[in-house]
Order: sequence, then C-alpha cells, then structure tokens
Amino acid sequence: MADQQAIPEHALARLAGLRKAGHPDGVFTSDFSVNEFLLVRKAGFEPVGLCVGSCIYHLGMQFAGWSSSCELDVLSTAMYEARALAMERMREEAKAMGADGIVGVRLTVKRMEWDEKVLEFVAIGTGIVHAKGHQGFKGPRGEPFTSALSGQDFWTLLHAGYRPLEMVMGSCVYHVARRGMLASIGSAGQNVELTNFSVALYEAREIAMERMQLEATRAGAEGVVGADLHEGSHGWATHVIEFFAIGTAVVPIEGHEPGEIPDPQLVLSVNS
Amino acid sequence: MGLFGSSAKPSAASLERCRAWEIALDRNGLPDFVTERLAGAAAGKGAWVATMTPAELLLMRSHGIRPIATVSGTCWFQYGMSWTEGHAQGWHDALDRIRREAEAAGANAVVDVRMRTLRHPMGASMDFTLIGTAVKINGLKPSPAPIVSTVSALEFVRLLEADIVPVGIAVGARYDWLGYWASSYGGAYTSSGWGDSQALWRTQQARSMFSGNTPLHDLMDFWEMIRRDAHADLRRKVAEMGNGVLAHTNFGQLIERERDKQPPAFLGRHIVIGTVVDAKYGSPVPHEIEMVVDMRDDLSPLRTPDAPRHSSYEDVQDEEGDI
Repeated sequence: MADQQAIPEHALARLAGLRKAGHPDGVFTSDFSVNEFLLVRKAGFEPVGLCVGSCIYHLGMQFAGWSSSCELDVLSTAMYEARALAMERMREEAKAMGADGIVGVRLTVKRMEWDEKVLEFVAIGTGIVHAKGHQGFKGPRGEPFTSALSGQDFWTLLHAGYRPLEMVMGSCVYHVARRGMLASIGSAGQNVELTNFSVALYEAREIAMERMQLEATRAGAEGVVGADLHEGSHGWATHVIEFFAIGTAVVPIEGHEPGEIPDPQLVLSVNS
Repeated sequence: MGLFGSSAKPSAASLERCRAWEIALDRNGLPDFVTERLAGAAAGKGAWVATMTPAELLLMRSHGIRPIATVSGTCWFQYGMSWTEGHAQGWHDALDRIRREAEAAGANAVVDVRMRTLRHPMGASMDFTLIGTAVKINGLKPSPAPIVSTVSALEFVRLLEADIVPVGIAVGARYDWLGYWASSYGGAYTSSGWGDSQALWRTQQARSMFSGNTPLHDLMDFWEMIRRDAHADLRRKVAEMGNGVLAHTNFGQLIERERDKQPPAFLGRHIVIGTVVDAKYGSPVPHEIEMVVDMRDDLSPLRTPDAPRHSSYEDVQDEEGDI
C-alpha cells in the first residue's frame, strides 16, 4: 500500500510486536522534546546522556553603608563561583560519557526552604556526540562544548556557519544607595529623575556584561549568541540586586561561506 | 428519605459492576463489559474515540493508522513505606493496566498518553492515571504487547518516519538519608554510620553565621549520588524496552530534618520520568528541513515548545515530607 511506505519496515516490525525490544548494551538519556531530538539527529549528532551538575552553596555575609552605591563583591563572587562549579560538574559528567558537547543547558537557582543563606545551583543539559566521530566540534582545550541552545537553535546555528564554544557568564550583585533625608525632602512632590538609582542600575548591568564579554574573548570566541540579562534578588534585603549575564560563545566553522545559506521562505500559518 | 434530603444508594447493577472491577483488578484482567466494549471498537462496531485534533487525524489517515478507542489505566496507590518508591510503583501499575486495555482493543500502540493525577488530600496516597488513544496500523496484526507512547499523534508519525519508535514510559526513582533517622512509620532506627555524622557536622559548621562563601561539599556529593542512582535506575528500566529516553520530568528535593542535640539530617529524593524510544544509532532523518519565517505576529506554532504532558510534580514544595 503506497501510503504506508512512509513508515520504515524496522519500525513496523516493532509495532506488530515482532521484534525483540531490549538494548542491554547501553541506552541514552536526554531531556529533548521530539522536535529537538529529530533536529539534533538531522544535524548529524546523537544524544548520549543527560548531564547534570549541581552546587549547594552557602553565601557569606556582606554589609554596605546606607548611602553607598557599590558592588557587594562577596555575593558577586559567590553567585559566579557557585554557577561555575555547577557547570564544571556538568561538564565533567559529559566528559566521562565521551560527549563532544552539551546542548540545551538550563541553569537554575533555587532557594532552599530550610536556610535562606543556602542556594542550590543546577546546570542540566543533554550531552551529544557527532554520529560519524567528527572531532572538530569540541570546545576549548578539547573539552566538551557547552551551550544554552535548544536542539532547534543548534541546528540553525550550524547552518548559519557557527559552532558553539562554551557558555559565558558574568555576575554582579549591587547595593543601590538609599537617598538621603534632605534629598528626599528637596524633591518631594516633584517629577524628577532619581539619578543615583539610574546610575546604580547602569553600573551594575555594565559590570555584569563586561565580565561576560571578557570571558568570551578569553575563550577565543568571535561572538556571543542568545545573550540574556537577568535581574534577581534571591531573598536579599531591599536595595540589593543581582545582574546576571549569560550567553553562548560561538566561533565560525572553517570553510563555511555565507552564500551557502538558503533564503528562508515566508509563510503565513492559517493554523489557529 | 433521611433528615438531610435523599441519600444516593448504589443500585444492584452498579454494585455488580464494582464487584466485577475488583475481581478484574485482583486477577490482573478486565471486567467483561470493558473487554466487550473494546473488542466491539476493534471490530468497528460503534464509533471510535480519539483524543486527536483534526490535523492529527489527517496525518494518521495518510499513514494508514486508525484510532480505535480511548484507553486508560489508573492505580490509586498509598505510599506508606516510601514516597519515592511508591511513585515508581504507582506509575508502573497504571502502565500495566493501560497496556491491558490496549491489548483488549486489538491495538498496535497507544498514542497521546497523558500522565494525570487528581490532587485530593487523602493522606499519603495519590492516583496515578494514564489516558491515551489506542490505534491500529493497517495491515498489521494486533500486537501482543502494544507500545505506550506519551507523544502526540503528530509526533508519533514524525518519529516513525525517522525510524524511531516511542515504545513506552520509564520511571527511575531513588531516595536516601544523610544521617540517622527514626522511621515515622514504626520501623526500626537506621544508622548510616560515622561518616555521615562527620559530614553533617561539617555541613552545620559551613552554614554557621560567621562562615563565608563556601560550597557545601558533603551535601553536594550526597545529592549527586542520589541523582545518579535515580538516573541509573532509569537506564536499567529503559534498557528493557529501547535504547534511549527523552526524559521530560526531572524532579528532585533535598529536605532538612531537625534532630535533637545533633546537626539536622537530610533527605534527598529524585524521580525522573521519560518516554523510551527505540532508534537506530545514526540513522538519517529523511525529510529536508526548510527554513521559514512565520508572518504571524504571535509566536509561531513551529517554535512553540511542547507543553508539559503531565503536572504531577509541578506544585510540590521543598518541605518536610516522606521518603
């Protein structure tokens, strides 16, 4: 029957319950969706295993004067170091399973209900290998690359002529000064910019971005895709805020010409 | 007629049906009226029932796949001894039951299987329910062991075209204590030894008020071990069915328990659930991928990530709980 040719024999045998099922000699695990799985395979890669790294971290204490805008470097260091540790542990898992890299990395921070000074940082992604053993996709120093790109984004990035190198990040925890009594009274009932607040936010964001960019440059990247800036206050006092920049550093694939990239088609979906 | 209005009373027929269910569950079978209904659906008597959208129906038809009936499996399970293992067992029993119904319907597969839980506060128990659509592939004999697949009908066809069969659901689970623990269910005291005790004192110290930035290494190692064991458990289950798993649910909790005159102990539990696939290594994806720009203003349907297929672990908090 013509319309059934689309389903391969191998799959049909399994559906009829004819084929033996078990694969005792190794299975892969991943948190891909169906589409991601198909696209990663289409890109010529196979998943090997879910890579997870977690870091449970106790944050030190730091105080800032009532009226000073400044970085809280103890907290900045903590937030960066804890994430870096989680990422490193994830990368170790990937290395142990022989992965070329990790895609779809999600980095989360969770406050522990039982201690406000303890945070759990988790990095989770799927380790993949090139199906034909191509070695050119490894990250810096021959280690597995890391990337926050989904399976879809990974396929598209490769077709854009770039490959992921590693996730880069920058963190800055900043104390925003409170306004003095006189200044508050002076501006009561007026529409004015609170310049010191604006400046504090600018400065904190700038520091986080700078650190991320520096990391990418040091890794030998040409650029950073999917860069994102998160603002968060992980249960800290008011006036304390974290700026966290994260993205995937990329390098061009040698020999890939921009002319090879096909023009995308325009579609208008009438489906809902 | 009572003081507070009429009270519902089961009729003789409904009592009989409930009795039939009890016997069937006890014998790992199905009541006659269910077998009859499903056999009727398989033979094409009466209407077929499917959870599919019209678009999915279209794709199924073009690939020679026919819906038969909605099938389900439920197991209301009490986790008196262990929360973690109870969950694994509950899902496992529900899986056996949906497979039984699919077999009675003469199916090759159950697609679009959803994992559901009613959240009724009924002590240390909950229901584990699977609902899906039994389908038959034209020209194939009914399978003695129909596959149970959590992917939608649309994705089912797409996977089959790429020579990947989504064959079932696997659950990996693991819990453990760091430190001594007296069972709250009347069990014996378990002692996990001197090493744990040392680890807990070190953790306590690192968390003290004057302690600076520091990773809690003992807790991290303990937590990592639990997660790895849960994943190893998953791999074992997967190896019985296929060669890979798309794990959509990763649920872990690290819970502190206060103790008298000693540093607090920790309970870690981890559950990982996924769709098992059977895929040939390195086999090509047949379709060409065309790049398109969707001209609609809202998010393109081509980019919408899959909504989670079950929500049993979404609102569970990190509070004191059972193992």
